Formats: sequence, C-alpha cells, structure tokens
Amino acid sequence: MVRKLVHNELFIIGFAAFFIFAVLPVIYTISITFFNFQSVWANLQELNISTFLLLLKSILLSAFVAFLATTIGSVLAFVLYKTTIRYSSFFKILLLLPLFISPYILAVAWKEGFFLMFGSTLVLASYWGVIIVFISIYTPLSMLIVGNALVNISSEIEDSALLMTSKRHVVLKIVIPLIKPALITSFILIFIFSISEFSVPSYFAVKVFTTEIFTQFSAFYNYSLAILQSVLLVLLCLFLLFAERKYIANAPFLAIGNKGVVFKLYTIEKQKVLLYSILVLWLFVSIFLPLTILVAQSFSGGAMYLVQAINLIKPTILNSFFLAFVSSIIVVFIGFTAAYYNSEHHLIKLAKYFDLLLLFIFAIPSIIFGISLIFFYNQAALSMIYTSYAILIIAFVGKFSFIASKLISNSLKQIPVSLDEAAQIQSIGFYKRLQMLILPLLLPAFFASFVISFIFIVGELGLSIMIYPPGAEIMSVKVYTIMANAPHGLSSAMSLIVFLITLGIIPFFYLLVRPMLNKYHLSK
Amino acid sequence: MLKIVIIIISAIFLSNCTDSTEVVVVYTSVDQVFSEPILKDFEQETGIKVKAVYDAEETKSTGVLNRLIAEKDNPQCDVFWSGDPVRTIILQNKGITAAYHSPIADGISEVYRDKDYHWIGFSARARVLLYNKKLIDESEVPQGIFDLTNDKYRGRFGIANPLFGTTTFHMAALFTVLGDEKAKQLLDSLQLNGLVIATSNGDIKRRVLSGEIACGLTDTDDAFEALKESDNVDLVFLDQKGIGSLIIPNTVNMINGSRNVDNAKVLIDYLLSKQTEAKLAKSCAQMPLHKGVKLPEGVFSLDHIVPMKVDYRKTAKKLEEIQDYLKRWSEN
Repeated sequence: MVRKLVHNELFIIGFAAFFIFAVLPVIYTISITFFNFQSVWANLQELNISTFLLLLKSILLSAFVAFLATTIGSVLAFVLYKTTIRYSSFFKILLLLPLFISPYILAVAWKEGFFLMFGSTLVLASYWGVIIVFISIYTPLSMLIVGNALVNISSEIEDSALLMTSKRHVVLKIVIPLIKPALITSFILIFIFSISEFSVPSYFAVKVFTTEIFTQFSAFYNYSLAILQSVLLVLLCLFLLFAERKYIANAPFLAIGNKGVVFKLYTIEKQKVLLYSILVLWLFVSIFLPLTILVAQSFSGGAMYLVQAINLIKPTILNSFFLAFVSSIIVVFIGFTAAYYNSEHHLIKLAKYFDLLLLFIFAIPSIIFGISLIFFYNQAALSMIYTSYAILIIAFVGKFSFIASKLISNSLKQIPVSLDEAAQIQSIGFYKRLQMLILPLLLPAFFASFVISFIFIVGELGLSIMIYPPGAEIMSVKVYTIMANAPHGLSSAMSLIVFLITLGIIPFFYLLVRPMLNKYHLSK
Repeated sequence: MLKIVIIIISAIFLSNCTDSTEVVVVYTSVDQVFSEPILKDFEQETGIKVKAVYDAEETKSTGVLNRLIAEKDNPQCDVFWSGDPVRTIILQNKGITAAYHSPIADGISEVYRDKDYHWIGFSARARVLLYNKKLIDESEVPQGIFDLTNDKYRGRFGIANPLFGTTTFHMAALFTVLGDEKAKQLLDSLQLNGLVIATSNGDIKRRVLSGEIACGLTDTDDAFEALKESDNVDLVFLDQKGIGSLIIPNTVNMINGSRNVDNAKVLIDYLLSKQTEAKLAKSCAQMPLHKGVKLPEGVFSLDHIVPMKVDYRKTAKKLEEIQDYLKRWSEN
C-alpha cells in the first residue's frame, strides 16, 4: 500500500466551507438578479459608455495610487530593511500605524487638518484628497511586502556583484529585478483595495465606480444594475490575479520572516541625513498629522469627550474582539488551506481555484456581499445563522481570507522542499509532517495573518452595518452611527480609543504566541 | 480543546438570543445618539427587550432600508422608525409596511400620517439654513431659497448630496411646490452661483462650523448640534413669507409579517406619545406634532413656523420621478 503524500481532508473542509458559506450566497444573488428580476439583456443594456468611462477613471485613479504607494513603500522598505539605519524596528512599527485607523476616520482627520492649516479643503475635496488618504493608508502595506522580499535576497548575490560593480548598479540591476514579484503584488493588492474602497471617495464627494454602485443601490434601489457593475469590478480583479500568476509564478514575496537567509545591509554614512529626513517627513505626514488632529479634538472638551467615548465604546469591546478573534482564527485556517493545497495543486486539481474564490469575495464590494448574505441566509431554515454572530463571522472570513492566503502562501514557498522530502523518505505521515514541520515553520506567517485580519475585522464597517444582528453591539458600527451627529470632539475621541485599544491588544496576542515561537526559535 | 470549541460555537449561535415573547426588533435610520436613549427608556418602562439596528445619515441609511427590502420575504424587523417619511413610503410601495391604527395617532394632524395608518409621523425636524455669523452679517442672511442665487453668496453656500436623505426629500418638495420648470431653473441658478455639494447634512454642519462655507441647508437637529458646539453659528427658517419651510416628521410603522406584533404595537404607541416627543425636543430640538407638549428653551414650535404645504405621498412619488435628473444635475 502506498502512503498518500498529501491528504485532502483539510482541503475538502476548507474549500467546501468557504464555497458553501461565502461564495454560494453571492452566486445565488447574481443568479436571481440576472434571471429573476430582469432579463440578462435588459441588464446589459444598462451598461452604457459612461459606465465604462467611469470604470476607466477609477482604474486610472487606483493605478496611480497603487504606483505611488508602492514606490514610496519601496523606498521606505529599502531604508528600513536594507540599510544599517538605527532604530529601524521602531520606525517600522510606527510606519505601520495607519493600517490601524479606518480609512474614513483618516479622511476626516486629513480634511480637518487641511482646513486648520490652509483655511480651505478645496484641494482635498477632489481626486487629490482620495489619493493622499489612500497613499497614507496603503504605503505601509507596500513597505511590509517589499521589505520582506528585500530580506529574502541572499547576501551572496549582492556581495558577488559588489566585487564587480557599484552599489547603485547592484540595486538597479540586481535588487530591483529580484523584488519585482513583490512590487507587482504590492501594486495589485493596493490597486484592488483602492478600487473597491467606497468611504473615502464618498467623503470627498469624488465620483468613482464604487460610489456609482452605491448610488444605484441606495438612491435608485436598482439592485440588478448595481450587481452587474460589481461583476465588472470582480472581473477586473480576477484578470489582475491571472496577470500576477503569469508574471510571478513561484517567486517568494510577501513572506513573513526570513527562514535562514542571510541578507545584505548597506551602510549609509553619507546619506544618513537624507534617509532620516525621508523617514521623519513620512512619519509626520502619515502619522503625526492625523493623530495630532484626533488627539487635539478629543481633548477639546477637556476629558469629557474621552469619558463619554469610553462609556459608549465599552459595551462593544468584548463582542467586537470576540468576533474578530474567532473570525481571524478561521481566516488563518482558510488562508493556510488555500495556500498549502495551492502549492500542491499538482496533486489536487481543484486547489488552484481556491485562490480565485478567495479573490472573488475579496474584490466584490461590501454592499453587494452584504446583500447576498441577507438574501441567502434570511430564510427560515438558516435563521440560526442569520440572527446570530455567525453571519458576521462568515462575512469577515469571506472578506479577509484572501490576504491571509497571500501571506501564508509565500511563507510556504520559503520552506525548503528538501525538508518535507526528507521527512517523506523517513515514512513520516502527512499529518505528522504538517504538525511537526510545516505548521511550526509557518507560525510567524500565521501570527501576522491573524493580527492583520484582526485589525481589519475590528475596523470593518461596510459589511457589518448591513448584516449585524439586531441588538448586537459592534464597535465599528457604533463609532460610525454615533459619529453622525456627535460633536467633533466625541467623534475623534471614539476614533482615538478604538485605535488605542486595537493597538494595545496586539502585544497581548504576541505574548500568547511567544512560548510557541520560542519553542521553534522563531521569535526574531 | 473540544470543550473550548463547543463553548465558542455556542457563544456564536446563542449570543444574541432572547426570550422571543419579550422582545421587539426595531430598525431605525434616526441617529443612534438620539434614538438609543428613547429605546433604552422603553425597555426600562415596559420590560420589553429592544433589539435595535441603527444606521446613520452619513451612510445614507443604506443599511436599514436595503436590509428591510432584502428581508421582505422573511422579515426580521417588527418596527421601522424612520427619520423621514420618504423611506417609509418607499417601503409602503414595496408592500413592506403593515397598517396599525395607534390610538395615540388621533392626536396628530392627518397631514403627518398615512390615511391607512401604514405610517404615522411624530416629532418633526425642519429644513433650515445654518449660517456662520462671522462670515455673514445678520442683515445679509438669506431669507428664502431663491436668495441663494444672489451673487453675494457665490461659492459660499452648500447643500448635502441631493440623491440621499432629507436633501432629496427637500428637492422633491420644491419640485412639487414650485413645479418642475421653476424648480429646475432654481437648481440651475444655484449651481451657476457656485453651490457646494457636501456629502451629508452633518458635513454641511461641519463646514459651516469651521467657516469653510458661510451657510448651508440642513436639518434642525444638525443645526441645533452646531449651536451647542459654537456661538458663531445661527439658523434661519427660510421662506417664511413664501412657500414655507419643509417639515420632516419622524415616522414609525409596523413591518408586514412582524413576528412580535403585540410588542411592536406597544413600541409604536410609545414612540408616538407626548412623552417621547418631549424627550426628542430636549435631546435634538425636534418639534412635537402633538399639541401641548412642553418645549425646552430654544426649541421652536410648529405653531410659529410657516410650513411648506406638501403631500408626503405625492412628494415621495415626485422623488422617484426626479432622481435621474438630480443625479445628472449633481454630477455636472
């Protein structure tokens, strides 16, 4: 009897669960939209030239954002990951902070700040406003992706090249080509994030494709057209995923941790002032400015607003953190299943489609995903799911598993195949290999995926506000609904507290997993 | 480990369960900061647990309205408390509302209720002009909406996105009262005079407060919040010598297929009561529709405002007709 190299039970559980719980509702909604509400032809006729022009405009805007954020992120990553600059860990943590703030709140802070500084927000209430806010949010993501690719370049390659040519040439001709996959991934992820984001363009009154979908949905109640437009968006994102696969097939990037690679650090004596200036400037613009505005407004009524904000948020903390915790664990499981079996897709053919399903749900606008979940789950037989927190967990897992799968997939690619092969030669079974070899080596990636998912889930609004069960207290929803008519100071205080408690819980998670990381010497 | 998983799964599925005989589910588009205290008081006074879904004008109330429409075949909600009649009429037209003749409604003018009691109005807001006293002299404050076409206000005034919320309703009311042609001329003139379109009424409030614009059309609740925040702003009811100011009552209705009909009726009666109107007058300066409700200082009485004479049902119908025009106009 031949021992199976890979057992597919985990894949079946992960794939089937994701397909049934998250994908099927969307397929169901798209189907009933096209075949029940109106004929397909009638829907297609509604897609006129202006729809495609608007889509083109949104593509250009998102491409511009993705290009700039990737460029700035790459510069920051190079300074912090590839040079001997001091306090790099401190800077890395600080620069990641915008990821903890919801885009909408950041947009509000920017607008307030702009008005305080220049007495007008005219410049900001335009495409420039959207670009500035998006870049400040997504640059840290790019820095993370590119930075991890940079530390995975073996120093031997650069050292050899440096014997022959200058530093500048090594960077241009060796380092950049080697991190090209990371640059492309960064570009594509940021592109998808920004083209599907609604709250920021809406706040700056900028018409983009997602605001048009929203208008069709909420002003005209034209579900069929809104869903059809969303399908266009999803097709575009799927096309990008194919492009990404074609160009960067198996290159390692977006990996967390560098498993045994010794990487080159460049000394920066001459450019020290310039590099510190870049870092400080970026810190000032992306962190200090918006946070100062939030803090200043929070204290505009003394401690009153903070006390009020704490009382308002207190009942939501446990619920939101519990939901985010459970959802993030499932996200990591789904992400791992998709990533692991995708890497073994020569053994399980269906595995390569898992990624596409994850992207499909990730790219679809929240409002459409939310309505799909309502249509599908609001039935007598499924009301146990619809009226409980399960519906939110399904929504969060659907939305964020794609990012986790990306993170885990690329860490997986860094594990030398020889390790697994050696274990196979020793006749060690699949689950034992998984337990003793693969999972421990992936622990840092699991932790990073968990933390990033947790942060995104705690701040998620678009889906939560559509489907949260009656009577449930959800932090992001409460902040938003209270903000609507609350004084500036209270809104800012609530945003600040959410930011601080989300930030505060991350070290707690680290302390929880540290014994495991230490056990496998992965804590650094 | 298995025990932990079972506890977590139980927590997920049972977390939101309540004894169904003692519960009422309410969806509301009224800002949580004002609606939640009323619903908490109701819980305390009646012992009926309220499960609420809140929304905010900032999200254009997409959440609750789309949710009610999507849930039509299997309604989860018992009572919809809306910040304006338009959304309720949209639901009524889709067969989502149910009739309930609350005895409390008899004290409310028939102008503010559906003839078949599919919805009943209470505590009203009005459309007002909020202005920044530092930027507009008292003597120059516009008194009518047509005044905003005057060159001296060029680029200094704003309205919220006319496709959403009470601003859409205001536009539809203007079309009803003025007629299509005159209303379109007015909107074109406003646009030519540099009208600023903000994302919401709350955004208008923020911009006037900060001095980014000199004045803007908004609702009384936003205006009163602005007055609490700063002494530099004030409000004016427009067209008191002309077409009047648009009055926007809250509305409440039962949902067709409600699972907790008795509790829903208790809640509807409670919301329509003078007691609730008094509370809303205090918290957000809403004007009671019942006679004889004691008003806090600074809150206007409907008796002293010339209301715009609109039929809410016809206005809602007009709204559907002009949506395409408003979209084109606002995007120009």
